[in-house]
Amino acid sequence: MTEIARTSNTGRAVLRWLFAAAFIFAVVASGLFTGLMNKAGLFYLVAGSVAAALMGFTLREIAAAFRQAAGRSGSEDDRRKSAYFWEAAARNAWILGGLGSALNFIIALSRESDGIMDVSGRMIQSLIIMLYSLVLAVICLVPAMKLAGPAGKGARGLSGADGRQAPEGGSASPALPPGRTISADRIIGYVLFTAVLVLTVVFILKGQPPAGTLPIGKLLLHAPAYLVVVGGAIALALFAGAASGARAWTLGFAMTGLIGLLMGLIQALFGFVHRNVGEIATAVAFIISTASLTLLGLVAVAAPLEDREVMDGRREGPAPLSRFFWVLLPLLTFIFLILTFIMVVTPMTKPA
Amino acid sequence: MSAGPQKSTKIDDLLRQALADDLPADVEAGMRRRIERFREAKAAAEATARERGAAGRAWLFRRTVWAALSILLLAAGILLQSGKASSPLADRIAAIKTEFASLETTRR
Repeated sequence: MTEIARTSNTGRAVLRWLFAAAFIFAVVASGLFTGLMNKAGLFYLVAGSVAAALMGFTLREIAAAFRQAAGRSGSEDDRRKSAYFWEAAARNAWILGGLGSALNFIIALSRESDGIMDVSGRMIQSLIIMLYSLVLAVICLVPAMKLAGPAGKGARGLSGADGRQAPEGGSASPALPPGRTISADRIIGYVLFTAVLVLTVVFILKGQPPAGTLPIGKLLLHAPAYLVVVGGAIALALFAGAASGARAWTLGFAMTGLIGLLMGLIQALFGFVHRNVGEIATAVAFIISTASLTLLGLVAVAAPLEDREVMDGRREGPAPLSRFFWVLLPLLTFIFLILTFIMVVTPMTKPA
Repeated sequence: MSAGPQKSTKIDDLLRQALADDLPADVEAGMRRRIERFREAKAAAEATARERGAAGRAWLFRRTVWAALSILLLAAGILLQSGKASSPLADRIAAIKTEFASLETTRR
């Protein structure tokens, strides 16, 4: 490649990034002026995405993905891995958006209110994080598609750091020993993710009235939902077996989440039939807690494990079913949050 | 029909003549060493098999415990939810819902 062509490529890449920055700025600025601003949500999403990336990828892999997205050339295998990183970043943003909305929704419900309008406003405000996450996911998907295009035209079977040929139709040969070791980057990622969650809750609480004497930890914990999601996810992962690898965890969390959401919805509908406010409230608490914990399990447990399998060359890529659940669960969470909002604000009178 | 037994008798006689004396000391020692090696290898294989069996049983036990624990958690969660177990969050939602209902009644 000549010097002129290289300069031209770099220039185009810089322009692309400038365009992306302008796009983000426009979205944030429009949010500021239209009342769609959630500063705590924005902080959570950006910092949470960085932490989530560190949970599944090493710093070297992240740097390589940024370099490739900026127009640096690389081998087919490097491009494929970088494309996967950007796809995972988009996925993380989307899942974090759902999780953030659900957590914000719980906090909005748990605070003392200055009236119905105040509570309703806070509940709707919590859905804005989902909007931010969609924007961030779209931005991350652009380099993923650009890098996946040329990489897909090359040798598909290549995998691993040294580019060894993967067996036809089978899983890739491991470039590194299929270790269960956890790198320092990933530990930093998990610590950072926990810090981001705690800070976000603190930031959200700062702008809202107190919730009486109850600590926020107790309000966030709806025990039955935790028991169902943790128990169900472990049971399904064990049932899927060790051969399924990290996919078993995605399947476990996703299926348990789906079952929990449906259970909660059915119970809430029965509550409306029985005209029992307590039953509806328990069901709504179950729905929101199940959605939160499922998304937390997907983004903090299942997705990083699948990422490591792909980056270590143990698998060609994530399973289509995993991809399907990664898209579906946050979307379902959003739909169920709207449903729970309707259920909470729908007045119910006792039969005469 | 009778060729088989006759042939066996001949081979037996031949062996008896050939091995009439004791084995030479070096041959006997070599044989003993071989037998010893064979016994050691067999014992080692049996020990490995026993170890593998123990590891397998421990793995199975761990999995069974995890499976039982997870099913218990799941069942407990479903039972608690079906029993409409209350939580601070559910109480708060019920209070908001009642607030909405009273607002609607006031409007009427």
